[in-house]
Amino acid sequence: MKTIFRHILITGGFLSLMNLMPAQEITVPLRFDRYYDYEELIEAMKALNRAYPRLTHLDLVGKSEENREIWALTINNPQTGNELDKPGVYVDGNIHGNEVQAGEVCLYFADYLLKNYGKNPRITALVDKNAYYVVPSVNVDGRYHFFNDPNTPSTNRGLRRPHDDDRDGLFDEDFPDDLDGDGNICNMRKRDPFGQYRTDPLDSRLMIPVKPGEPGEWTLLGQEGIDNDGDGQVNEDSEGYVDPNRNWPYNWEPPYVQRGSDNYPLSGVGLKALANYIIDRPNIIMAFAFHNNGGMFLRGPGTEDQGDFPRNDVEVFDYLGKNAEKIVPGYRYLLSWRDLYSTYGDFGDFMDNIVGAYTFVGELYRTDDETFRSPGESQKQEDEGSMFTENTSRTKERLEFNDHVVHGDLYKEWTPYNHPTYGEIEIGGWVKMSSRLPHPFMLPDLVHRNAAAVIFSSEQTPEIKLEVTETEKIDRNLYRVTVRLSNRKAIPSLTYHAVQKKIHEQDILKVHGKQIRVVSGGRLTDLYRNRVVYKEHKPEIQYLQVPGFGKIEFQFLVSGKGEMQVEYTSLKAGKIRKTVSLK
Amino acid sequence: MQKPLGIVCLLASMAGMAGWLPLKGQSGFREYLKPAEINARLEGLQAKYPSQVSVKKMAVSPGGIPVNMLEIGSGGGERPAVLVVANAEGTYPIASLGALYLAGRILAEPDKYSELKWYIIPCLNPDGAMRYFSDPLYMDGRNAREVNDDLDDQMDEDGYNDLNGDGYITRMRVRHPEGEWIPVDSDPRMMKRADPAKGEKGIYKVYTEGVDDDGDGKYNEDLPGGVDPSINFPHLFKPFTSAGGKWPGEIDETFRLMKFVYEHPEIAMGFYFGSSDFCYAPPRAGRRGSVDMNRIKIPPRQARRFNVDPDKTYTMEEIKQLLQPMMPQGMEISESMIAGFLGLGAVVNPLEEDMKFYKHLSEEYKEYLKEKGYEDERLDAPQDRDGSFELWMYYHVGVPSFSMNLFTLPKPEEKNKDGEALSPERIEKMSKEEFLGLGEEKIEKWLRETGSPSQFKGSQVMAMVESGQLTPERIAAMMKQQGVTEKKNDGDPAMKALIAFSDRELDGKGFVEWMPFQHPDLGEVEIGGAVPFTENTPPASMIDSLLEFQVPWVFELTEKLPRLSIREVKTTDLGNGVYRLEVWIENGKYLPFPTAMGERNQQPAPAILLLEGVNLEFLQGLPRTPVQKVGGMKVHKEEWLIRSASSQTLTLRLTSKNAWGDVKTIKIGG
Repeated sequence: MKTIFRHILITGGFLSLMNLMPAQEITVPLRFDRYYDYEELIEAMKALNRAYPRLTHLDLVGKSEENREIWALTINNPQTGNELDKPGVYVDGNIHGNEVQAGEVCLYFADYLLKNYGKNPRITALVDKNAYYVVPSVNVDGRYHFFNDPNTPSTNRGLRRPHDDDRDGLFDEDFPDDLDGDGNICNMRKRDPFGQYRTDPLDSRLMIPVKPGEPGEWTLLGQEGIDNDGDGQVNEDSEGYVDPNRNWPYNWEPPYVQRGSDNYPLSGVGLKALANYIIDRPNIIMAFAFHNNGGMFLRGPGTEDQGDFPRNDVEVFDYLGKNAEKIVPGYRYLLSWRDLYSTYGDFGDFMDNIVGAYTFVGELYRTDDETFRSPGESQKQEDEGSMFTENTSRTKERLEFNDHVVHGDLYKEWTPYNHPTYGEIEIGGWVKMSSRLPHPFMLPDLVHRNAAAVIFSSEQTPEIKLEVTETEKIDRNLYRVTVRLSNRKAIPSLTYHAVQKKIHEQDILKVHGKQIRVVSGGRLTDLYRNRVVYKEHKPEIQYLQVPGFGKIEFQFLVSGKGEMQVEYTSLKAGKIRKTVSLK
Repeated sequence: MQKPLGIVCLLASMAGMAGWLPLKGQSGFREYLKPAEINARLEGLQAKYPSQVSVKKMAVSPGGIPVNMLEIGSGGGERPAVLVVANAEGTYPIASLGALYLAGRILAEPDKYSELKWYIIPCLNPDGAMRYFSDPLYMDGRNAREVNDDLDDQMDEDGYNDLNGDGYITRMRVRHPEGEWIPVDSDPRMMKRADPAKGEKGIYKVYTEGVDDDGDGKYNEDLPGGVDPSINFPHLFKPFTSAGGKWPGEIDETFRLMKFVYEHPEIAMGFYFGSSDFCYAPPRAGRRGSVDMNRIKIPPRQARRFNVDPDKTYTMEEIKQLLQPMMPQGMEISESMIAGFLGLGAVVNPLEEDMKFYKHLSEEYKEYLKEKGYEDERLDAPQDRDGSFELWMYYHVGVPSFSMNLFTLPKPEEKNKDGEALSPERIEKMSKEEFLGLGEEKIEKWLRETGSPSQFKGSQVMAMVESGQLTPERIAAMMKQQGVTEKKNDGDPAMKALIAFSDRELDGKGFVEWMPFQHPDLGEVEIGGAVPFTENTPPASMIDSLLEFQVPWVFELTEKLPRLSIREVKTTDLGNGVYRLEVWIENGKYLPFPTAMGERNQQPAPAILLLEGVNLEFLQGLPRTPVQKVGGMKVHKEEWLIRSASSQTLTLRLTSKNAWGDVKTIKIGG
C-alpha cells in the first residue's frame, strides 16, 4: 500500500483521484472501477488464488529485466482432469508497459470465471472444460514505471533493455522530464511571432497551422523535458527502445528491419521465461493477448510474405473474430498486416506458428467512445487528420468530453513554466491516463465485454467425442470396426496450419488388445460404400485431426477376439479411451 | 573399428605440400580431439599462460558437454576483439583443431594479443562433434536435444543401423522396378540418376544403411537428436525444419553466443572455422529479395494512404520527406520505422561496398596460398548456409565476417580441362564478373547449344547481367527449368573426387565396395559407398600442414581491422578568443569502419570524439561528437568553432570500443 500513498504525494490530478479510495486490502470479487498498479495487480492475483485454492494455482513465470516477478494464474478444475489433458486457453495483457487496462481485462476474466463457478451453469461448464493460463502483466517493469513515473499515454511501452537510440555511445541518457512535477509528460509550447501555429479560435487549448501570410503565435517544442545529455536534442534516448511484441522468435528481424526488435530474438529475459512457460503447455490452442488501443481483434500473420493461413483456419478465425466484433460494439476484426501494418517477431506469430494456437490480439478501447453529441448527431467526418494524427473535430469533442463528462481529469490546461533552455513556455495537453485508457467509470464495461469475447472463443475449444460405431463380425475371428471422432465446436483438435507445417504431432488413434491384431486400417472416406484410405504400415496407429463442427471416421479390420482398446490422444484436445469386446 | 583416416598416408602427391614440416613447438596434432579433450587443451593453455588467458563456460550442450571459450588478452583494458568460432556443424573435427592451433600461435607471439583481444570457441557443437568418435560412424551434427523428426508416437526411434558391421553407415542399393539409379560406366562404384533422354532406365533404389526400426515403412527417419547449431542463428533462419530448431537461438549453444556477442561491442571481426570459406570466395550473392534502398516501391495499399504513385520508385530519403509531415509533432521518422511500415524486409545479399573487400581479400588469399607453395586444386567449399553463424555475424552484428574450410578433397585430374563444358551447375556458382569474363563468343555458343530461343543473344544476356537484371544464378535456374543439365553425366563430381582421393591416398579405405547383404525388410541389397567424413576430414597426418599454411591468414585479416586515429588538427585563430578547429580522423587500415552492412543495420558502436577544455564556449559543434563512419584508408573531418577567454591546452580524445582510438592536445591562444 506504500505505493498508493507515494502516488498521492508525488502526483496530482487524475492519478491520485483514482487512488483516493482508502488503502485497503484487495478482496474478491475484485473491483473494476479502478486500476491496479504492478504490486496491486500481483496482490489481486494472490487474492484470487487464496479465495479459490481448489480451482487455481499461481506460477512464477520468471523475472523481468529489473527483477520483478511475472506471475501466471492457472484456472483448472483438477476433478475434471489434468491441465495438460484439456484444451489450453492462454490470456495475457500489458506486454506493452503503458497498455495497462489489458491487465484489468485479464484479472476480470479470471475473477468472472471463478466467482460464477457453481452459480452460472455455462461458466461452470466452461471452467470444467478447459485449462486457463492468465498472465495479466507481461511487461511488469513497464507497468511499474507507467504507474510510478511521469509518462505520456504512450511511454514506458518497451522493455528496460538499454539501447543507444540516438547512436551517441550513451544508453538511455535522455528521458522526458516531468518539469512541473504533476506525474504527466505533456507538451511544451512557446509564444513566438514566427511560430508555425496559432491558437484555434474554437478552442484556445488547440493550435492550428498558420497559412502563408498569417502571423504565427506558437512554436511547438515537443514532449515535456530538457536536454539531459547536452547534445542539442530533447528526450531523444529514453528507455529501450525494445518492443516486447517484436522480440518473439518467429519471423523475427533485426532492428533495421523492425524497429524495437532488439539484438536477437527473446533477448528479453521475462519474455524468454514466458516463451518457456508457454512451450511447457503444449495444450494451448486458443490465445488472446490484450493491448491498447483502437478497438480491434487482430489475427495474424504479421507480414504479407508469410501468406495467409490455410482456408480452414481462416474460417475458424472468422467465426470467432466476427462474433467478438458483435460482443464488443465498435471493435473490428482485422487481419494484422493487411489492415494495420506489418510486424515481425510479434507474439501472435509465435503462438500461431510455434505453439499452434489460434491467436487474437485485442486492441482495447476506442477514444471514439469519448463522446459529446446530441441524439442523432453523427461523428464528425475525418478532416485534416492523417493516419498518425487525430482530426481536430474529434479532438474538440474529446476535450468537451473531458470538460463535461470527466471534469478535467484527462487534460492538463496549458500552464506557464520557466524552462532552463527555452525560457518562458507553457506546458499542457493530454495526461498519461488519457487517450489510450478508459476513464475508470468506463472500465467495468470494457473489461466485461472483452472478457466475454474470450469466453465465446473458450466455449469453442474442441470437444471430442469418440464412438465405436460398428463392430461387425465378417469372418471367423475377423471383425470390421468403425470408429468415429466428432467435434461439436468450432475449433479443430489442432490447427490446419500445424498439420501443414508440421508444427507438432497430430492426434493419434490407436487400436490394440492382448488377443487381437489390426490387419488393416485407415480413414473412412465414404461410409456408405466403405471406401477407406488404408495406411500401409502400422495400421493400428492412425494420425489425424478432428475438424471443427465435424467428424472423422476410421475403419479397421481386426483379427482375434476379446477386449479391444480404442485410444485417442491429442496434444490439445485431451485423451479418450474406450474398451470394446469383440465376440 | 579401424578408421582408414587414421592411416599414415604420403602427402608428396598433394600439390605443393611436400616440404611443409610442422614448426617446432606448434600444433603437432596427431589425432582429432573429442570435445572433452579440446576443453582439456583449453585448461592446459590457461595453466601455461595464467596471466594472458582465461577459460569461460559459455553454455552446456543438451548432451552435458561444456561449450568453453578461451579469452586471450582480455585483461589488457579496452581494445577491439576478434571472435573465433569453430565447428558449429559438429561434423568438422579439423575446424576445432584450426581454432586450437590459432590459439597456440597467438600465445606464442605476444604481439598478436598485445593490442587485440581474442574470444575463441573451438567447438560450438560438442554433441554433434562427438559423432565422429561414435560407432557406427555417420555424419550428422545435430545436438543431443530430443526431437521427434517424423512427428509420430515415438522419440528418436529410427536411427541408422550398421548392418554389415563395418563401423560405417554407408548406402544400400536395391534392385527395384521403380529404381532411379544406375552405376556410372566409367566407375561402377559410383551411382547416377538414370537419364531417360539417353535411353537409360533406372535399376536401383538407394537408401542410407539401416532398417525400419519402428515399422512405419520409412528408413532412418527419426535419428537421435536434435538441433543443428550451425543453422540456428537468426539471419535467413528457416522455420519448420526439424534440424534447424523451432526458432533461432532455441538452444543454449546459439542463444548464449548471441547474448555474449551483444554484450561485447568490442568484437570487431568474426572468424569461423567450418564448412564455408569466405576467405576463398565471398559470401553468396544473388538471392532474391533484397530491396534496393534507392528504388523502393510503395505497396498499393500504403500508396493509397499516402496518396503517392504505387508504380513509381522512391529513395529512402524521398519517403522520409513524404512521411515526416504526417508524424505527430516532435517525432522523427527513421529508416527502420519506414522499413517496418512498408515491410521492406531484410538485406539478403552482401552489400556492394562490402563485396569489394570480400573480393579483394579473396584474391589476396589466393596469392597468399600460392606464395606458400599451394596450388589450388581442391573442390569448392560448401556454400554458406541460411541461419549460419558466419552470415549472422555479417548481416546482424555488422562486422566483417570470414570463414575458412580447412580441407576439401583435391579435384580429380580432369582429362580435358580446357573443354570443360558450361553447365547450369557451373554458371550458378559464378559471380557476375566471372560470367561476363567468359566472353560473348562462349556465352553465345552455349546458348545455341542448349537450344535457347534464338532471340536470346549472347550480347543481350551479357548486358542484362551487367545491369543486374539477370544474375548467373537466375540464368542457371532458367536453364534448369528448361531441362538443361550437364551434358556429360558421369556421376557426382564430389564422389568422383572422393573415390580418387581414397584410391590414391587412403589405399581405397575411403570407400566401401558394394557387397551383397540380406536385408530383413528389403531382401537382397548391396551395401557400400563413401566412408563418412572422408570428404571433409583428412588423415591425421595431414592436419599439421593444413593448419600451418591456412590458419595464419587470420593474422593477415586482423591486420586490416579498421584503426582510428587523429591524423591532423588545424587551428585557426579568428581573433577575440574565437577559434576554428578542424580535425581529421583517419582509418589507417584497409577494412571500413564499419562495414556497409554495419552502417545499414546500425549495430557497431560509433567512435566518440571528445573535445575537452576549461570554460569553452561551443559556437559550433558539441563537446561530444559521435563518429559513425570512416572508410578504409580514408579520413573523416569534424569542425568546431569555439571561444575561450584564456589561452589553454585542449585535449582531443577519440575513443572507440572496436577500432582503437587516439589522444591529441592542441594549444590555443598564448
